[in-house]
Amino acid sequence: MFYTVTISLLEGFATTLKLFVMTLVFSLPLGLIISFGSMNKLGIIRYPIRTIIWIIRGTPLLLQLLVIYYGPGIIGGVNIWGSGDGGRMFAALVAFVINYSCYFSEIYRGGIQSIPVGQYEAGQVLGMTKSQIFCRIILLQVIKRIVPPMSNEIITLVKDTSLARVIAVYEIIWSGQAFIKSAGIIWPLFYTGVFYLVFSGLLTILFHAVEKKLDYFVV
Amino acid sequence: MSLLEVKNIKKSFENTRVLNDISFSMEKGQAVSIIGSSGSGKTTLLRCLNFLERPDGGTITVAGEKLFDANDMGKVSEAEIRRKRLHFGLVFQSFNLFPQYTALENVTIAPRLAAKEQNRLAMDEAAIKERALMLLDQMGLSDRTGNYPHQLSGGQAQRVAIARALAMQPDILCFDEPTSALDPELTGEVLKVIRGLADAHTTMIIVTHEMAFARDVADYVIFMDGGNIVEQGNAKDVIDNPRQERTKKFLSGYS
Repeated sequence: MFYTVTISLLEGFATTLKLFVMTLVFSLPLGLIISFGSMNKLGIIRYPIRTIIWIIRGTPLLLQLLVIYYGPGIIGGVNIWGSGDGGRMFAALVAFVINYSCYFSEIYRGGIQSIPVGQYEAGQVLGMTKSQIFCRIILLQVIKRIVPPMSNEIITLVKDTSLARVIAVYEIIWSGQAFIKSAGIIWPLFYTGVFYLVFSGLLTILFHAVEKKLDYFVV
Repeated sequence: MSLLEVKNIKKSFENTRVLNDISFSMEKGQAVSIIGSSGSGKTTLLRCLNFLERPDGGTITVAGEKLFDANDMGKVSEAEIRRKRLHFGLVFQSFNLFPQYTALENVTIAPRLAAKEQNRLAMDEAAIKERALMLLDQMGLSDRTGNYPHQLSGGQAQRVAIARALAMQPDILCFDEPTSALDPELTGEVLKVIRGLADAHTTMIIVTHEMAFARDVADYVIFMDGGNIVEQGNAKDVIDNPRQERTKKFLSGYS
């Protein structure tokens, strides 16, 4: 039984992992773009973006999943996500990317705004372009500063993926819960915690390594 | 013809006049010191020369080329400004070294990027490094080239910053209170380096509160107060025998 459960949970965990990785792949760069928008000099760009960030951060991810999955069907009359597993997974991914981009953008913004203006000016008087200053001077300092809050957020994402089961994405909690109905046992559900723990443990080690790697300079 | 000619520079922030019709000129090889109390506009003037602030009026001319003309702005591209500001170098009060780079990399980064843009990096790389090492040696830092900024004392950091500015070979090197963040001992080592540059006839504008230093090292002194040049002239004359009441009052605080 233990073996069967483990295999079944591993299958669920593959979905969890897929959602986790894909969310990061898209929301890490998108968050940076949103952070530039939220710092834009033009109010016409800045205010709409800050409003979106407020809405996304101000409502539960669970609700956002439901709105994104069911919303188009209810409002437009068409289910744009299709009916299969793939469609639900895609809807979940969209919701996660939007949600996490907004959180990441605020971390980026904090990091970028914490860099002293003197760093930009030193680059300017040496004749560097704006993009050279950002890529060669600012970016690494920002990365160093945001590793701790980022690792926090990313470890939260590991566990947040479990919310996707509300639109029937078969992630690991779903797999564990299924044994309650099918076999009348609850321990597989508790057993899923081990998978989360091991995975977030690995991430913790990884982030420590990154922090250590960036230890050679002080900002 | 003067190397630098500044005419009628004006600058306001919001409704505060910071620079009021500033005009002066300097020759190649001269060291000019700008003195005056905090808030007199000295730093703003340097920042205008380095295109970190945009004056509201006036002109800035270097070696006959009009770099800035308040009546003829708006259409100047970012690339133009980058080219123009390279006539000037600036050493900041707070050093502003790049923390993730070693002393040597701090000095080479800007020349390397400039060479890369012209597709000359492979060709110039060795020369850039050699020149950077030479400059660091001149600053007395040949044993510190591999250190990161946080491993340097304030005096060492400021000397790296001076080498970094010199690496771009500016016509005029500006210092914005280069020793104000340093204790007296470290101040001495930085001033010694600047004195060496003056002896080598480096064209410099030095904003400083070190009166004895300004008197000894600068050829020319400009005393500013409330956004105006109150008095200017030969450094020893102005500092030893100020003519204006305001200058006398300011200098009496130092003796």
